[in-house]
Amino acid sequence: MTEKSMARSDFYTGIALIAFGLAVTVMALQMPPVTERGQSPYSAPGLLPALLGGVIIVLSAVMFVRAVRKLRGEFTLSRGGVKNFFAETGTRRMSLTIFLCLAYVLSLGRIFFPLATFLFVFIFVLVFEYEKAVPVRAQKKKFALAALLAGITSAAVTGVFQYIFLVNLP
Amino acid sequence: MFEGIEMFGAALWGFLNVRTIFNALWATQLGIVIGMLPGLTATMGVALLTTLTFHMAAGDAILILICMYVGSIYGGSRSAILLNIPGTPANAATTVDGFPLAKAGLAGKAIGIATTGSFLGSVIGMFTMALFTPLIGSVALEFQSFEFFWFAIFGIVICGNLTAPKDPLKGWLAGFLGLFVAMIGMEGIHAYVRYSFGSTNLSGGIELIPAMVGAFGFAEIITVMRFTKFEVVKTKIDRTLPRLAEITRYWKTIVRSGIVGTFIGAVPGVGEDIAAWVSYDLAKRSAKPEEAEKFGKGSIEGLLAAETGNNACVPGAIIPVLTLAIPGSAPAAVLLGAMLIHGVRPGPLIMLEFPTFVYEVVAMVLLSTTSMFILGLLMVKSLVKVLMIPRQKLMPIVFVLCVVGSFSISSRLFDVGVMIVFGLLGFLLREMDYPMAPLVLGIILGKMLDNNLRRSLVISDGDITPFFTRPICVALFAITLIVILSRIPWVTAFVRNIKNRLRPPRSPA
Repeated sequence: MTEKSMARSDFYTGIALIAFGLAVTVMALQMPPVTERGQSPYSAPGLLPALLGGVIIVLSAVMFVRAVRKLRGEFTLSRGGVKNFFAETGTRRMSLTIFLCLAYVLSLGRIFFPLATFLFVFIFVLVFEYEKAVPVRAQKKKFALAALLAGITSAAVTGVFQYIFLVNLP
Repeated sequence: MFEGIEMFGAALWGFLNVRTIFNALWATQLGIVIGMLPGLTATMGVALLTTLTFHMAAGDAILILICMYVGSIYGGSRSAILLNIPGTPANAATTVDGFPLAKAGLAGKAIGIATTGSFLGSVIGMFTMALFTPLIGSVALEFQSFEFFWFAIFGIVICGNLTAPKDPLKGWLAGFLGLFVAMIGMEGIHAYVRYSFGSTNLSGGIELIPAMVGAFGFAEIITVMRFTKFEVVKTKIDRTLPRLAEITRYWKTIVRSGIVGTFIGAVPGVGEDIAAWVSYDLAKRSAKPEEAEKFGKGSIEGLLAAETGNNACVPGAIIPVLTLAIPGSAPAAVLLGAMLIHGVRPGPLIMLEFPTFVYEVVAMVLLSTTSMFILGLLMVKSLVKVLMIPRQKLMPIVFVLCVVGSFSISSRLFDVGVMIVFGLLGFLLREMDYPMAPLVLGIILGKMLDNNLRRSLVISDGDITPFFTRPICVALFAITLIVILSRIPWVTAFVRNIKNRLRPPRSPA
């Protein structure tokens, strides 16, 4: 990240963290004071969370002010910058990874675990190895290797956890 | 003293069986491989293996985790030398001299030096650990809630300061966010459920291991998948076993780096990467002029300093785990979590409750260090092939293990969700230069801080003077305050100004 974009991210994170700190403090202050049960007021469950909320507000406020000084009014993101970020190969690869991983996790408990694992590994490998420009026939080996890796992973993980560690897999 | 040696001997004797040695060998080898692969760090390895060894006997599981820890911190040097990319953050200083040596056709020699340095570092750290753990343990018995409160704050501030040298504010923010995470769920004094929003799962709190598997596993998978592939330096790997003279020449550097590495390891949350850089920097400053010139261009001394420092940090980081239940580094935090899972209660009472365990851990470090030395010098050429495994084939398997590992501890899909949330959060925070170590330390220290703050205030009936008058509290408070003030620009400018005024004026030449 460049200094400018870091300052911009600090600006927005600062706002979010101040709001978060406020929420933490308000909720902490709403916690019971425990004095009505004859307990010491210093043992109240909201004591530390309220202090933590306060510290988070102070630290994020410092970060926010520092970012404002660095940005000198240039708070908004440029359309071109956002476009470039999403057009980058790295961003696309990361988004694809997150999407595939989330899809796998969401399938757990809905699809038979060994099948879900097989499909996840198989699709993951192929998505990153498949080349559009090359005909499918020429990429048969890639398909076979992906299937082999997925099969071995699924069988090994299921076998070890289900039958050796006795974990009831989702 | 003799009792300690006796307990160490008994522990070592107990480990000399085929099963234990086999476990030590495979776990260390796996550690080396994980350390070698850029993106797979020691913390991730230990966290993943904690979930995989969850069903094993406590002794076996902790041995395996220590072997993984030692192996992966060493293993990272391999990719640092051959790829110019540190396998784990701990090996960043290794790249400075390791890669130039490899480019000069001395990859085998560099690997041998790194292996020997790591071995000697671990041995120095192990001796320090055996010597100081009982001592610190007996001092820690005197600590009360006031001291533990300051230890928690001190840990967060120091860790935040050192792990985010460019911007300590972010380190501290990460630490306090971690402390907040520890507030979620049922608290220990009145059993009041905080920040759970009616969720039964959240009322049990956030489990450390799934959170760490996410922050160090899933987050790293996303980062690694961003890039396509690495280039391995094309070099001949010949003799790896270094000549004795090559090592003995630098004995001062080895001893200095070993002690510095161990000491840095013992500071809460400050891990192997800082230990390596500090050792490297000290070696550079105290090197002879002709040697100092070689630093950054392929210096054996520089490489030795970095690798001795980072591996010495491992036993160092275990010292506060055992004596104070405060982790010295991120992987040590997972180790602490694993010990708690397996029924060992580290902390000031360890020398009374589990005195033999401390020496068992020392014996485990010796076993893992020896395994690392042997395995590090063997199979060098064949292991280089591991670096060529395409990431798209490796990462889905790692993710499956992250998922199953998080799930297997409590058989709850909620923990998988925790892993995902912490993975995404960890990724975003790291992109914005927030270090992960203070966050993890915060999650661990949160409960300790909460209970000890409230207990202290109840004991003193709301009087805060004991926090500032007890000797250890004064020392911890003073260090914490100095660290904070030293990072505030206007304070440093003010101090510099006063210094300049106090300096006697130079007489005109």
